[in-house]
Amino acid sequence: MKNSSGDRNLIGLGISLLMAFLVSVPFFASDYWMTLLVLILIYTVYASGWNLFSGLTGYTNFGLAWFIGVSGYVSSLLIADHKFFWLLAWPIGALFVGIVSIGVGYILLRIKGVYFAISMVALTEGTRELFGTEYLEPITHGGKGVPFVAGISLSALYWSILLLAFMTVIVCYKITSSKFGLRLMAIREDEQAAETLGIHTTREKIIAFVLSAFLTGLAGAIHFTYQNYIDPSFGFTIHLTLTPIVMALFGGVGTVFGPAIGATLFTFIHEILWAELTILYMAIFGGILILLILFFPQGLLGWMKERGVLPRIRKI
Amino acid sequence: MTNFIEILIRGLMLGSVYALVGMGLTLVWGVVGIVNIAHGEFVMLGAYLAFWAFSLIHFNPLLSVALAIPIFFFAGMTIHKRITERLTKAPELSALILTFGMSILIWNLAQFFWTNTYRSVPYLTGSFPFFGLVFAKSKTVSFFLALGITAALFAFLKYSRLGKGIRATSQNSEVALVCGINTMRMRAVTFGMGIALAGAAGTIVSLQWVIFPQMGASYVSKAFAIVVLGGLGNIQGALAGGLIIGVLESLTTQYWSAKMAQIIPSMTILLILLLKPTGLFKK
Repeated sequence: MKNSSGDRNLIGLGISLLMAFLVSVPFFASDYWMTLLVLILIYTVYASGWNLFSGLTGYTNFGLAWFIGVSGYVSSLLIADHKFFWLLAWPIGALFVGIVSIGVGYILLRIKGVYFAISMVALTEGTRELFGTEYLEPITHGGKGVPFVAGISLSALYWSILLLAFMTVIVCYKITSSKFGLRLMAIREDEQAAETLGIHTTREKIIAFVLSAFLTGLAGAIHFTYQNYIDPSFGFTIHLTLTPIVMALFGGVGTVFGPAIGATLFTFIHEILWAELTILYMAIFGGILILLILFFPQGLLGWMKERGVLPRIRKI
Repeated sequence: MTNFIEILIRGLMLGSVYALVGMGLTLVWGVVGIVNIAHGEFVMLGAYLAFWAFSLIHFNPLLSVALAIPIFFFAGMTIHKRITERLTKAPELSALILTFGMSILIWNLAQFFWTNTYRSVPYLTGSFPFFGLVFAKSKTVSFFLALGITAALFAFLKYSRLGKGIRATSQNSEVALVCGINTMRMRAVTFGMGIALAGAAGTIVSLQWVIFPQMGASYVSKAFAIVVLGGLGNIQGALAGGLIIGVLESLTTQYWSAKMAQIIPSMTILLILLLKPTGLFKK
């Protein structure tokens, strides 16, 4: 017992040191490293947010870009056209996508397996096309896109996304080690059995879905403020869905810290590949995907748990 | 009125090619249990096969179809034996992500080797007049080619020994195995056939539309709409679904806008999954 509490103190110390380091980064790091860290943190939220719903319930969400794009659009338009303060526009965008997700989840979460994945892709593609049509042009500016300046310093943006990423990981940790998380995993293993045991599966799925939408939506709003621009093909690109999935897979689907680790490693890989081999970037990315699925399906943390390097508990 | 009929027939012609792509997807999905997101990329490769055969050695594009079917069939079988067969017992997500990886790998390589230039096969140009209606030669010929391949596929599945084995595997893989059908081989053959259909559709597509490395995406989204419309694994349903999508696209383009026509596949998927997730047709 004593040993375990000693371990815990050590881990606590490690996390505090890491946080202290991350918080102080803007005081000494160059802009290059800051932007790299911002991207890592944004993708940490995306990958963890995806994992929170899909990793736990087993429903593959192929529409993460929809959460990101809708919230990104709402917040960008508020900042660009209605002169909202960024700190106010972000949560409004995220709340908007969260509320719409209640309806979407209520309708689409009845559909199982691959069909759910496809319907989410269809939703994303449909929204993307719709946002570019002349009918929504008065609101969305159509295919021209929305360029805007939010007047936020890089340091403020960095601290915001750091706080969000930290909160997201905490939420994932709390949920995975809670009874709610257990119920979600029961749905993943056998939905019918979970239902017979008295779990209100639809409700649990919707709660996880909306939570995932809110967190990724918030990161999406920050992402597009950081980019200072959004347009339909940019806001709803399939890459915003797939990159986080790959990161989660890389780190370990269904684990707490896997997606964050995957996001960190993969952003570096991306950075190197993009700089060196832009023209074959997608091919290499695709090749990595194939190899991951064939030879490393459990991900880094899953593999370490299997090997006994890490304890086989839900809390990691 | 003549105009309307012409648009309707154009839609059917368009739909016959979509149906080929959709039938390949639904066949693989239903029998092998793998959702092949890279399906559209094989359409693209088929189109490039016809293009290169035509531009390098002036190979008749109509004959490229006959060339594409065996090539893509064996390529598909090899891919299944080497890669996708390992996924038959893995979760569905694995196949989705793996074939997605395959999809971007293939189009990026195509882009790398053949560049982003738009290409076309200028073979059948001009049009046929027909009772006051006018039809492009290439589209009419494509239509009959597509119908011929479809008929051959139906006959193969219905009457040949191999086709019966495939149908048995699709209905109940375990019972089929007990009855002495080599279901593993059936799955490989089916995968090959699905890819062959995509490749054949690609060579037909090359006669009428531009060819570029990322063209697969639009075909795969239509193919998914077709599979959902027709019901999973339902070949006849996929044929009907393809024709429906073709006609809808043709009508929307004419009477509304080309932009709205692009929304049709995703809207169809959402509506059908909400209202009648088993598809419109009985198996």
